[in-house]
Amino acid sequence: MFSSLVGQLGAAILDIITETGDFVTVSARSFICVFRLPFDGRRFLYQLSAVGVNSIPVVVLTSLAVSMVFAVQLSFGFRQFQAEGLAGQVEGLAVVRELAPVITGLMMAGRVGSAMAAELGTMVVTEQIDALECLATDPVHFLFVPRLLASAVMLPLLTGMAIFVGYLGGYTLLVAVQGQSAYVYGQDFYKLVGFRDLAIALTKGLVFGLIIALVGCWRGYRTRGGAEGVGNAPTSSVVTSSLWILISDFFLTKLLLV
Amino acid sequence: MPVIDVVNLSKAFGKKVVLDGVNLSVEEGESLVVLGGSGSGKTVLLRCILGLFRPDAGHVTLEGKVVQDLSRDELAEARKSIGMCFQMAALFDSMSVEENVGFALTRHTKMTPAERDARVEECLNMVGLKGTQKLRPSELSGGMKRRVGFARAIALKPKILLFDEPTTGLDPVMTDVIGKIILDLKTQMGVTSITITHDLKSAFEIADRIAMLFRGKCLAVEKPEAFKVNPDAVIQQFLRGDAEGPFLDDPPPPSLGKRPSAVLPAP
Repeated sequence: MFSSLVGQLGAAILDIITETGDFVTVSARSFICVFRLPFDGRRFLYQLSAVGVNSIPVVVLTSLAVSMVFAVQLSFGFRQFQAEGLAGQVEGLAVVRELAPVITGLMMAGRVGSAMAAELGTMVVTEQIDALECLATDPVHFLFVPRLLASAVMLPLLTGMAIFVGYLGGYTLLVAVQGQSAYVYGQDFYKLVGFRDLAIALTKGLVFGLIIALVGCWRGYRTRGGAEGVGNAPTSSVVTSSLWILISDFFLTKLLLV
Repeated sequence: MPVIDVVNLSKAFGKKVVLDGVNLSVEEGESLVVLGGSGSGKTVLLRCILGLFRPDAGHVTLEGKVVQDLSRDELAEARKSIGMCFQMAALFDSMSVEENVGFALTRHTKMTPAERDARVEECLNMVGLKGTQKLRPSELSGGMKRRVGFARAIALKPKILLFDEPTTGLDPVMTDVIGKIILDLKTQMGVTSITITHDLKSAFEIADRIAMLFRGKCLAVEKPEAFKVNPDAVIQQFLRGDAEGPFLDDPPPPSLGKRPSAVLPAP
C-alpha cells in the first residue's frame, strides 16, 4: 500500500519533470528558430490579425466591464470615509498596473492560446505535422515562430488598449453616472501613475504573450490520441497558461516595482 | 549498395512489440511492396525509415547514412530526397491545392512564382488533377486528396517515394486509378519506392518484390511470382483473404465464419 503510494508519487514527479524539461526544450528551440530563415511574413501577418485584431472586441468588453465594476466598488468603499475623490486615482493605478495586463492576458489565454492548442492538436492527429517533417520543414519553425512573434507584438498593444478602455470605463461610471468632475477624473486617473507603470504593464503584456503562445503551441504539438486528445489540449493550455500568467504577474510586480 | 537498408529493426510501444528484428533492403529504382495485416508494423516501418520514430534496436540507412545518427538539419536534408504519401493524404487544410503541392518548392528552392506554378501544374497533371489548383482540401474527394498528396510528394523530384496504404477506403475504380498512377510515377520518374497496401491487385502490378510483415517479423521478401506460391500458411491465408487460419489471434467462431451460399444476385 505504502510502496504503491510512493511509486505513484514518484511517477507523478517524474512526469512533471519530464513535461517541464520538454516545455523548456521546445521553448528554447522556438526562440532559436526566430532567427532562422526563411521568415514567413505572410503567416506572421495572418497571426497578427488572428491574435490581435480579432481579439479587440473581447478585450474592449472585458476591460470596460472590469473597470466599471472596479469603479463602483472603489466609489462605494471610499464613500465610507468621505473620500470619493480618491476613486479616480486608485482606479488609474489598478487599471494600469494590474487589471489591464492581467485581464488581457487571461482573456487571450482563453481565446488565442486555446485556438493555437486546438489547431496544432488537430494537425498532429491528422498527420499534418508529420507531413511538415517529411517536407523537410521544422514544425517549430513553421508553426511556433509566427504565433510567438505575433503574440509578443500584439499582447502589449492590446494591454495598452485595455488601459485606455479602462480609463473610459472609470470615466463612464464616476463621471457620467456618479457626477464627478470630468476634469478632476482626467487629472486623477494619471496622478499616481508614472511612465514606469506603463512600461511595467507593457512588459507584463509581452511576457504574458510569450507564455500564451508557447504553452498553447506546446500543448497542441504534444497532443496524443484522437478527438479526446484534441479536446484536452485547449483546456490544458488555458489552465496552464492562466496559472503561469498569475504566477509570473506576482514575480514581475515584485521585481519591476523595486 | 541498397538505397534503403533496414537492419534488425525493432520498435515497441510500451509492452507492445511492433517490429521485431526486421531486415529489408531496396535497391535503386526498385519497387518494394509491403503487405501485412492491420497493426503488423508497416506504418511504423515507414516512420522509422523517415526518422519520425527512433528504433529501439537496429537501424535504417538511406543511401549509406544511418538515419538515427543524423542531426536535425541533416535529417531535413535527407528528407528532401524522399516523397511521403500519407494514408489519409495529410494535406494542410489551411492551404489550397496549389499551396500544398508547391509547399516544398516555396521553402526549399529558389524558383520564381512562374516556375513554381508550372511545376505544380506539371505534378497535378501527372496525377490527373489538372485545373484543381485553387480548390481547398475540404472540397476534394478521398481519391483526389490522395492524388494531391502524391503531387505534393513528387514536387521536389525525390529519389525515393514511400506510399502508406494509398488505396485504403477508396472504391475499386479509384483503387485501380491510384494503382495506375503509382505505376506511372514509377516508370516516368524511375524512383525507388516502398508501397504499403492491402490491395493485392495493385500490389502485384507495381511490385518488383513483395515483403510480408506478420507480428513484427518479416516472413518473406521475394518476387511476386515466388510470393504467390510461397508455402507459408500465413501468406497463403492473406492471399486468399480467408478468416480461418493462423493469421488472426482471435479468429471468429465457426458459426460466424460460415459464408452464405449465395451472396450475389443472379446477373
